[in-house]
Amino acid sequence: MRSLSRMLIVALALALLGPVLFIGQAPAADDVKIALVAPLSGRWARQGQLKKMGADMAIEEINSQGGIKALGGAKIVLREADAGDSVEKAVSAAQRVLTREKISAGIGSWLSSFTLGVTEVAERLQVPWLSLSYADSITERGFKYTFQTSPVSSLQAEQALDLVTDLAKKNNRPIKKAAIVGDNTAASMFFYKPLREKLLAAKRIELVVDDVWTPPLADATAIVQKLRSTQPDIVFYGATNFPDSIQVLQKVKEFNVKSPIQGVGAWLVTPEYVKTVGKDVLDNIQTVVAAHPMKGQEELVKKFKQRTGEPFMTQDPLCTYAHVWLIKEAIEQAKSADPKAIRDALAKIDISSGPAVSAFYPARVKFDERGRRIGATPLIVQWQDGEPYTVVPTAVATRPVAWHK
Amino acid sequence: MVFAELVQYVVTGLLVGGVYALMSIGLGLIFGVMRVVNFAQGDFMMLGMYLTFFYAVAASIDPLAGALLTLPPFFVLGWIVHRLLLARVTGGDPGRQHDAQLILTLGLSLVITNATTMILTPTPRGIRTSYATQAFALGPVLLNQARSYAFVMALVLAGLVYLFLTRTDLGRALRAAADDPEAASYQAIDVRTMHGLAFGIGIALVAAAGGLLATYYPIEPNVAGNFIVLMFVAVVLGGLGSIPGAFVGGLIIGLVQSLTLLVLPFQLQNTGVFVAFLLVLYLRPQGLFGRRARTV
Repeated sequence: MRSLSRMLIVALALALLGPVLFIGQAPAADDVKIALVAPLSGRWARQGQLKKMGADMAIEEINSQGGIKALGGAKIVLREADAGDSVEKAVSAAQRVLTREKISAGIGSWLSSFTLGVTEVAERLQVPWLSLSYADSITERGFKYTFQTSPVSSLQAEQALDLVTDLAKKNNRPIKKAAIVGDNTAASMFFYKPLREKLLAAKRIELVVDDVWTPPLADATAIVQKLRSTQPDIVFYGATNFPDSIQVLQKVKEFNVKSPIQGVGAWLVTPEYVKTVGKDVLDNIQTVVAAHPMKGQEELVKKFKQRTGEPFMTQDPLCTYAHVWLIKEAIEQAKSADPKAIRDALAKIDISSGPAVSAFYPARVKFDERGRRIGATPLIVQWQDGEPYTVVPTAVATRPVAWHK
Repeated sequence: MVFAELVQYVVTGLLVGGVYALMSIGLGLIFGVMRVVNFAQGDFMMLGMYLTFFYAVAASIDPLAGALLTLPPFFVLGWIVHRLLLARVTGGDPGRQHDAQLILTLGLSLVITNATTMILTPTPRGIRTSYATQAFALGPVLLNQARSYAFVMALVLAGLVYLFLTRTDLGRALRAAADDPEAASYQAIDVRTMHGLAFGIGIALVAAAGGLLATYYPIEPNVAGNFIVLMFVAVVLGGLGSIPGAFVGGLIIGLVQSLTLLVLPFQLQNTGVFVAFLLVLYLRPQGLFGRRARTV
């Protein structure tokens, strides 16, 4: 009896307090809601956190500058949903956030494998979706609501290979043997595929190690031992899961492997790498990314650093920042917060200035009929003295490229 | 070449397995004494990693020493968690309590992981030690220093636990409480206290294993997910509730993971572990060291 009355009191208190608790967060009727579906828990939570930092910064800027003018100064509100650590969780998070209330557009979900699932939900519910994920297949399914701002993995593979063969030749160390080492998440797989199937053979490069694992990796000894015995002239590297990558890099140092490392993705240039393995291990490791601060973006980076306390800015906050601005531009052009109208505006949009294009190289946003950004070109980022710098293309580089000693 | 390589694979497997073994004996002890399947075991390991990290950052304590220093606070934490939460759903009719225990430890795991993500942020942290990237060279075979130290310490800690359980009165009382709680209580053994003791020790051991792991493995709130399944496999492989069994189970997992790579591609690394697991369960359902009646 006592417990029953106690339960009643709790229920009553909740019933009374509930509305009060929620009123504080409830947006005004004409706010525009944007969804961010990104991993906020699980092994990729750090990337979700970085994405959210970028989104928050853009939303604060837009709202403080008077909101969306075409909608009478409507404010943008972020609705984040946790994609967790599996495709199933990501899909159900998208389903939840997109059906609970009216969402004008969405962003996400970092890992290509997640994005493939989440964009299916967005397509079905007809909500335009912006993604920085790399996998080719994201925009190969004939979807109308998916927009991919990054250069796709296969293109990145081609460009990364061109770049490293050029650099190696210039340094009189032509590439004859290559290794592929990394996990089997979608973006990495799409990067390895063209290398294995045609690109390496076309340049007469022999693939001497091809080791791909499912995260988490128990131990990197076997992999790095193979690198040591085969001594490839380049290692194509795709370990998106932080502990896996750390284990590989520690072993590389332990076994004194000297092969240059060419990564794929911005996971390789997060600040925690410096703290965990030290800058001497990282020096000259480079990675191909969809975005990284370029020459002329010092102000933006400074602002980001001040806001977040992060030591530098990387692809994930940068792209998400630009995505929010891009959605804002689309809404201005559509003059409506209706998802279909925004989708049509995004399909037609062609802009080459302002914060909406800040993350992209070249600085132009126009999508082709598949939803891929026309002309999207990857950047090469290289660790130098404990900080990652854009080194290629030279026009926007913040430091010159260095080749491995 | 081939022989040296084989030796390298075996050595690597054993070194990796050493820490799995220490992780697993805590879980095995808790199950053996309390019959509680502790899903939060990996999360206590994660907390142990963080404590070792804070020792290293705040007081410049080497993580190998830091790992040992996690033992007392985590013993107390385990004791408190038992008193406040687990004691309410252990003892009494086991059939009725079983669901409550599972839900409680699973819930505890979720709360710990998410609270840590909220409070400490998902940013991975790491302790940089010189020995994480150095190796002892035995001819062509390389033994990673961090893993070697961790292995030796895991061995010592496991040995101490074994001595405690077999050579001290308190240890014997603990085993008596595990074997037959009712008979033990007739011998003036306070079963509830024994449960608290077992849970405290089990949590302390896994926290220390976390501390050792932190010498070469990054720390993040969800690190438990990378190890918890292996811990359970080790415990069941060795024989539910058997401490030597859990230890050997842990070693076997490391070894199988490593040797699998000789015949299977990397993507199937854990397939080897589960095939070995199924084989053992098929041929010896009680596990390698298990008796038909489960005991410590």
